[in-house]
Amino acid sequence: MHRMTLTPYGPDAWLLRFAEQPGEAAYEAARAICRSLEAEPPPGLIEYVPGYTSVLLEFAAGTAPAGSPELKALPARLAKQLKQPAEPGPIREIPVVYDGPDLARVAEHAGLSAREVCELHAATLYRVALLGFAPGFPYLEGLDPKLHTPRLDTPRPKVDAGSVAIGGSHTGIYSVPGPGGWNLIGRTEIRLFDPVRACPGHEAEMCWLRMGDRVRFVPRGKG
Amino acid sequence: MREVLEVNSPGLLTSIQDGGRPGWRRFGIPPGGAMDRGAWHTANRMLHNALDCPVLECLQGASLRVIEETAVATSGAWGALAWTARPGEIIEFPPSLAGVWHYLALPGGIEAAHFLGSASVCARAQIGTALVKGSRIACLGNPASTLPANVKCRHPIQLEDYSDAVDAMRVWPGPQWQAFDEAARRAFFGQVWHVSSHSDRTGYRLEGAPIAPPPGELVSEPVRVGSVQVPPNGQPVVTLHDGPTVGGYAKIALVDPADLDRLAQTRPGQSVRFTKIPGW
Repeated sequence: MHRMTLTPYGPDAWLLRFAEQPGEAAYEAARAICRSLEAEPPPGLIEYVPGYTSVLLEFAAGTAPAGSPELKALPARLAKQLKQPAEPGPIREIPVVYDGPDLARVAEHAGLSAREVCELHAATLYRVALLGFAPGFPYLEGLDPKLHTPRLDTPRPKVDAGSVAIGGSHTGIYSVPGPGGWNLIGRTEIRLFDPVRACPGHEAEMCWLRMGDRVRFVPRGKG
Repeated sequence: MREVLEVNSPGLLTSIQDGGRPGWRRFGIPPGGAMDRGAWHTANRMLHNALDCPVLECLQGASLRVIEETAVATSGAWGALAWTARPGEIIEFPPSLAGVWHYLALPGGIEAAHFLGSASVCARAQIGTALVKGSRIACLGNPASTLPANVKCRHPIQLEDYSDAVDAMRVWPGPQWQAFDEAARRAFFGQVWHVSSHSDRTGYRLEGAPIAPPPGELVSEPVRVGSVQVPPNGQPVVTLHDGPTVGGYAKIALVDPADLDRLAQTRPGQSVRFTKIPGW
């Protein structure tokens, strides 16, 4: 297991690194660490933000100075959490119509038929490593290497929310409309980010996917 | 609630802002909020508002028409002014040599929809929308109640604010500071950087002699507001309030939160340099 390290990141903030590389082990570690930070936040913690191999910890001013006993003890405390097997993340199914404008491009790059691309894309159980970039935007891990496809040379000025896409070695779903350079292979009706769902006390509902979820794409007809 | 202003022209950008919505970055939601926090407070203070009331944030070219008599306070790129605006009056924000972002407060604050505790519009995240020609602006207080008669100008801007002196921004070491080589570190502190015109609420791009990012690819990691990221082209980008919550570029430094207002008010083409925070 990777030794946890704390790197200072400006006033009152630390980057806790818990893995060398992204992947299944880092995903499990991030889930365990976030669960622990949620259940037993260290004194003064205002916010935590997970990445693939690190988590940002932001504290109230002056509550976590370098060398404080609480801060020093934190890596060991969180490392202990990693030994407890976690329940697997819930599986969320996302219906997709595979009719994106870049499906042919992805197929050509992979040397496969469009149909084979869809089957391969839908055959994987993906992991939501984190949400970021845009509200509710999932960083999905596990794309079959055959489907890795370079991003577009010129990004589109506007991509619709719900577009299922491949960018390099990643696959994802655009959660809000905006510019984007990934290859669009399909679309889903599911609203990944919907502010209306953020009722007081249930704010997390605004995001359809959460960090730690697992995702399966389910092909649907065009109807 | 009274509608007192109408947008004649939003200029380059006019939107409602307050202190933003910190605490939701793990859901991909940027903290957002006023680009110049000090000016946001000042505008509210002049009208005896709670300091955290929503205000209008305007870029140059914005023009507002007064519908109903109201006290108004403006601050930011211009220094601070408060007066009683009469129906028909046009409030304009032409380009200012002294800054970028203008703020306008109304008595009791501006009426606005809130999301996650903030009225701040974040267009990139599809949270709210910027104002357009014809948008009406209402205040929550009594338009006539707060300003003593004959008060016109309380904090005129000082001439020094127009100077071309290069502003130094204090920085902390970024998480990848150790990974940058000696030449890159020297170049970062040793030169004057120009603010690029490709700068907005998400971040300010800087132009200068390129500095080499560390070799290898960085795994995407969380990004704080004020981070100075160095993409492969060697031209740093300072992440600001509406910027992405995660990123894959090496961060050489972090601008001290106390200096972000001054950075935000630095106009494209103007210069900044960086200096180590005392104690680094």
